Amino acid sequence: MIRFVVRRILAAVPIGLVVTLGVFALVFAMPGDPLRELAGDKPIPASVLAAKRAQFHLDRPFLVQYGLYMKDMAAGQFGSTFDGQDIGEQLKLRVPVTLRLALLANAFQWIIALLFGTYAGFKRNGAADRLLMASTLFVLAVPLLVLAFTAQYVLGVQLKVLPVSGAGAGFPQSYLLPAMALAVVGFAGIARVLRTSIVESVNSDFVKTARAKGLGEQRVLWRHIVPNAILPVVTIAGYDFAGIFAGAVLTESIFNLPGLGQFLFQAIRLKEGGVVVLLSMLAFVTFVLINLAVDVLYGVLDPRVRHG
Amino acid sequence: MSGSSRVVAVALALILLPVGCSQGGAGESKTKNALTIAITAEPIKWLNPANDNSSPGIEVARAMFAPLVDTDPDTGKLRNIIAESVTPDATSRTWTIKLKSGQKFQNGQAITAKDYVDTWNLTAYGPNAWQNNGFFSKVEGYDDLNPAAPAKPTATAMSGLKVVDDRTFTVRLKNPFSQFGLTLQYLGLAPLAEVARKDPKAYERKQIGMGPYKLDGEWKVGEDIKLTKWAGYQGEKPQADRVTFRFIANGDTAYNEFLAGTVDFVQVPATKKRSFKTDAPGRWLVSQNAGNIVYWAFPSYDADFANPKLRHAFSMALDRPALANLVGIATPAGGLAAPGIPGARPDACKYCAYDPAAAKKLYAESGGLHKPLTIYYNTTNSTGQIFSEALGNMVRQHLGIEVKYIGKQASEITDLATARKLHGVRIAGWGHDYPSIEDYLTPMFKSNGDANFASYANPKVDALLAQGDSEPDQAKAVAVYQQAEDLVLEDMPLIPLWHTQDAYLSAKGVHPRNSKFTGVWPLWSTIDR
Repeated sequence: MIRFVVRRILAAVPIGLVVTLGVFALVFAMPGDPLRELAGDKPIPASVLAAKRAQFHLDRPFLVQYGLYMKDMAAGQFGSTFDGQDIGEQLKLRVPVTLRLALLANAFQWIIALLFGTYAGFKRNGAADRLLMASTLFVLAVPLLVLAFTAQYVLGVQLKVLPVSGAGAGFPQSYLLPAMALAVVGFAGIARVLRTSIVESVNSDFVKTARAKGLGEQRVLWRHIVPNAILPVVTIAGYDFAGIFAGAVLTESIFNLPGLGQFLFQAIRLKEGGVVVLLSMLAFVTFVLINLAVDVLYGVLDPRVRHG
Repeated sequence: MSGSSRVVAVALALILLPVGCSQGGAGESKTKNALTIAITAEPIKWLNPANDNSSPGIEVARAMFAPLVDTDPDTGKLRNIIAESVTPDATSRTWTIKLKSGQKFQNGQAITAKDYVDTWNLTAYGPNAWQNNGFFSKVEGYDDLNPAAPAKPTATAMSGLKVVDDRTFTVRLKNPFSQFGLTLQYLGLAPLAEVARKDPKAYERKQIGMGPYKLDGEWKVGEDIKLTKWAGYQGEKPQADRVTFRFIANGDTAYNEFLAGTVDFVQVPATKKRSFKTDAPGRWLVSQNAGNIVYWAFPSYDADFANPKLRHAFSMALDRPALANLVGIATPAGGLAAPGIPGARPDACKYCAYDPAAAKKLYAESGGLHKPLTIYYNTTNSTGQIFSEALGNMVRQHLGIEVKYIGKQASEITDLATARKLHGVRIAGWGHDYPSIEDYLTPMFKSNGDANFASYANPKVDALLAQGDSEPDQAKAVAVYQQAEDLVLEDMPLIPLWHTQDAYLSAKGVHPRNSKFTGVWPLWSTIDR
């Protein structure tokens, strides 16, 4: 087991390095001059421009820029953004915000998906099933943008039951609305996979055996069907995380949460290669860790795929 | 309760929980004498007016700092604030600034002439890369602090700045400049206290101001900026005892915050310019002041556009009232300076009236364009394409020319134009830094002007601008500048389109100052709630 984990982590290192170089190159290739973009309509004196370019190594060739950047990272120096924010300070502020949002959104999403998917699959063509099919179709068709602004207007502005935006009301109030918006959009896929998986399990021999033994319906469902049907859904957890992060870019903007999503958006807009690489690496590491955890969890759930 | 029903119950409780315990953030701004102002932008990075030329930064500086002079919102005349007098010499080249006595910073330090001179030198020092550096390029000795790369500065202080005594200093400019007194109302020129100058970084979040409000404790990253009224300020005192600036980058979200009643003041975002009057009846206002001009710029280096008649034809094919209506809240342009600016004439432009027949005639006389008209639009904002297509449709219909569109980022378009590789028209704009017709003409039309995006050069215009700059009598100076405006409008290197106005929402009982000279200032609201 430990060898498996170590091997997976070592394998991720070269991929990680390629990701940093690739993302850095992509940002480098984007059009526009970030320092001029920052200045808006106002002219910026040549001496100031030169001083800023030197400060951020923007006057150097691409590979030198990348090398200097990696050197700073290795030394643990995050530096500052083009518009002067301390990157370390920003991360300290923003990581917890996005983490809270992602965890809460995941919690909502999984609770809704598991309940909905399980009952829909168990009572196929029943009321829960029809409702699930109709609602997931609806949710998959409505863009997150529309859903989030509608939820904000109805629950925040009209009914005033939740804060409209901002992290000022603290956890969990400030995070409920954005997390629910993310969860509603995200649950549909998981619920549908689980439903199909449950439907397959319901007709298995071991279920018939359990019923023949005279077990109650609820016990058959939760002790026999669900543990067997959940495996394919656990796989989704790994890549679904990426979806939550992408969704956070939009959700954090609409709900004015100072998280990593807004930071990433700003960084891409201003061609801040360093920040984009840093955030991509954060996402990459999280992605690797979650997938690793999923693989380990596999072994726990299903003895047949346990790692030696 | 079976196991599964328990799970359902917990899940439902989790989802419904907020209904019981919400309302957390709301309500705090409802106190009579406190104002919460939404700023629809990313949070500013630091509190240092010398290193911030963004409008959110200036908005906050307006609360914490005070300018030397400002424009009287009722009369439009210049009045002294921190300065007791601002006096030019006979040629408007050397200016003597005398400060009122007994003025203090919020840490108790007396404000002296040295504070101004030292802060300005710090700002103008190239390697610091402070954002208001460029302001001082007119001052004698600026170049020693900002040599062309790779040379290093040979001085840390501009030779043009001299402390005369504790309350007096002089500014010697490279060239005569009659409008210099007007430029002194810029808040980016506010002085930093001595301790803050020694270690600017350390005071970025606990800046010592000298204006009507001071920081209420240290401002922490990610939080609102909270200010309380400072009793030591000797100028005009605003009514609100406490002011909170809340940064909400998404304009639609800020708008919703206002509708929910959690902020008292917000700017209407572009997406709501058609609905704000019904969304917040009786709680909106439109700025009486525009302060900018939006125009269509032509590449003067491109021979195809060389004939002024061609540009006159384009201009007369445009239905400006319809364009202004499309923009939402805007005034059709009839000159180069925004309405309300001393010397601005709404009918200065002879070729700005909508007359398709005359336009067609002029177009034929000009020989026409021998290629499709390329219209570049800015993809950085949401309206660039819409407005460009409206302009394109008008000239296509009335002049019968083919048009094509190219979208690019604003900085790319600027770079192409600077390199003289932009072979088409584009929408651009300029907003004045100080209310003078000169601040429209010099940046946009002087040879090598800072915002001369059409690369226009006319020695006669340059001469008139220089003449206005050295004319100490303001009325005479304005008349000279108007002559320059007439010449420019005859050449028409760019076509004036409209002046954009902003709309705002303000809470019931909060009445922001709305002046046709200075625009909307929420800080100086009258509060009767």
